[in-house]
Amino acid sequence: MVVFLIFKVYPVILAVIMSFQNFQGVQSQEWVGLTNYQNVFNLVRFNQALANTTIYTIGTLLILIPLPLVLAVLLDSGRVVQSTVFRTLIFLPALTSLVVAGTVFRLILAEDGFLNLFLTSLFGVQPLRWLEVSDLALPSLILVATWRWTGINILYFNSGLVNISKDLYEAAVIDGASAFQMFWRITLPLLRPTTLFVVVLSIIGGYQVFVEPFILYTGGGGPGDGGLTMALLIYRTAFTSFNFGTAAAMGVILAAIIFVFSLIQFRYFGVFSKED
Amino acid sequence: MAEQASDLIQHRTISRPRNRFNVSKILLTLFFILLTIGFLFPLYWMVISSLRPDGRIFVDAFELFPSILSLDSYNNLFAQEPFGRWIINSIVQTAGFAITALILCTTGGYALAKFKFRGRNLLFVLILVSQMIPFHLLIVSLFLMVIQLGLVETYFGAIIPIAASPIGIFFVRQYMLSIDDEMLNAARVDGANEYQIFFSVVLPNARPAIATLFILFSLEYWNNLLWPLIVFRQAENMPLAVGISRLINQYRQSYDLVMAGSTLATIPIIILFLFLRRQVMEGLAATGTGLK
Repeated sequence: MVVFLIFKVYPVILAVIMSFQNFQGVQSQEWVGLTNYQNVFNLVRFNQALANTTIYTIGTLLILIPLPLVLAVLLDSGRVVQSTVFRTLIFLPALTSLVVAGTVFRLILAEDGFLNLFLTSLFGVQPLRWLEVSDLALPSLILVATWRWTGINILYFNSGLVNISKDLYEAAVIDGASAFQMFWRITLPLLRPTTLFVVVLSIIGGYQVFVEPFILYTGGGGPGDGGLTMALLIYRTAFTSFNFGTAAAMGVILAAIIFVFSLIQFRYFGVFSKED
Repeated sequence: MAEQASDLIQHRTISRPRNRFNVSKILLTLFFILLTIGFLFPLYWMVISSLRPDGRIFVDAFELFPSILSLDSYNNLFAQEPFGRWIINSIVQTAGFAITALILCTTGGYALAKFKFRGRNLLFVLILVSQMIPFHLLIVSLFLMVIQLGLVETYFGAIIPIAASPIGIFFVRQYMLSIDDEMLNAARVDGANEYQIFFSVVLPNARPAIATLFILFSLEYWNNLLWPLIVFRQAENMPLAVGISRLINQYRQSYDLVMAGSTLATIPIIILFLFLRRQVMEGLAATGTGLK
């Protein structure tokens, strides 16, 4: 408990205080009021990072909700042989370190890497410079996210599906419902809590994305800062430029965004009302 | 459940010609085989790239099944980098982290579940709320604290600041709520003191939860990059993830070494996972933290 208070509560307070201070080195600081926040919002890079992170998060939502949902339903339908084996194998990428995921995809996405060879020889398209073109930075990151998180999200949806009574489907079959109708009218509505949970988790995770761009773009923001995310910018502001005050202010803004989404989660899942 | 599922299938076979149903089953399974190959391909590519002879990673990139395999990358990795140290660092730090985090979770979770004290609810809400705090808000202040405590470059500095896991405390608390109070009271009547109760009654009863958390905590630290990256600057103190991340930067692109290192960092985890599959997957679904 004491450790919790020291390393979670105290640093938060310290961070909020620091976001109002100007740091000259580690020891001396002065109060500067809201200047750090003004600076942050005037920073072109911050606004770009905010936009990038938001687009990235939306992109992951558009793929990492429907895809695992449909896959989980198919695997649960009893029409796939050995579905547990597939679930396990698709889950394996989630065990890799994000560092490993990042470096492997760096190799695959490189200009003379496998993906380009594959696309060129199969479809005859020109090699794409995945890691060097600004507009391809976010799609590359979303590709890595899809690879790594699909298995986990299938797992979440699966644990939601197990709770849906099979009687409902039997009744629907007797009433002559098609597979699509059953999916649309029974599965989707009853999976809503799970879906919402995964959505919120993805938003929170998406806004904190750090390691993937850090590895894919070797610590920088990528070409034209196309892969610069908020977490990356905070890290660089703090530990490359040593602007602790500005970094703390960015941290507070990031926390505020995540806080809002988390509150939605708590509201819908009734964590507060369920206790006591 | 399996019975109900097969009932479902029988309903379908009645309403459709039998061979059509089999075709859809075969097609679906085929689809999943292809999909799985796609998902496993990057892992295969990692291993196969690490086994290519020196300097052939890109030259041979289209050889899906290389004819010549070599351990050049592994030899170079151990010769040029303190890779053995990284492995030891990772193992020691991971074990240290998992044990520390478990001590904090079990004691904290037990206190929250079974003792009434002033401010308990406030503390509980604080713990839940702290789960939402992005780690990037904390890095600067934690870094300054670690400097002031003189813990930079130490295992303690890498472990302690991130060991208090809100979700872990929450998970243990929920689990311990299900332990019967009567059992604890019976032990008290028998003259057991609070420490004996905790170690010989509470902990054995919470064994499944503890095992699950131990696995999840280990996985979390093993794959963690950000905090160890901040704490360690000296190559010989780094865990695997940080060490590997340093092999690719603006000035060098040692893909061969990276692929060898990544393979060595990943394969043991995958093998362990195949043994502990149920526990990991169910634990993840239950705690719902997502892996980092």
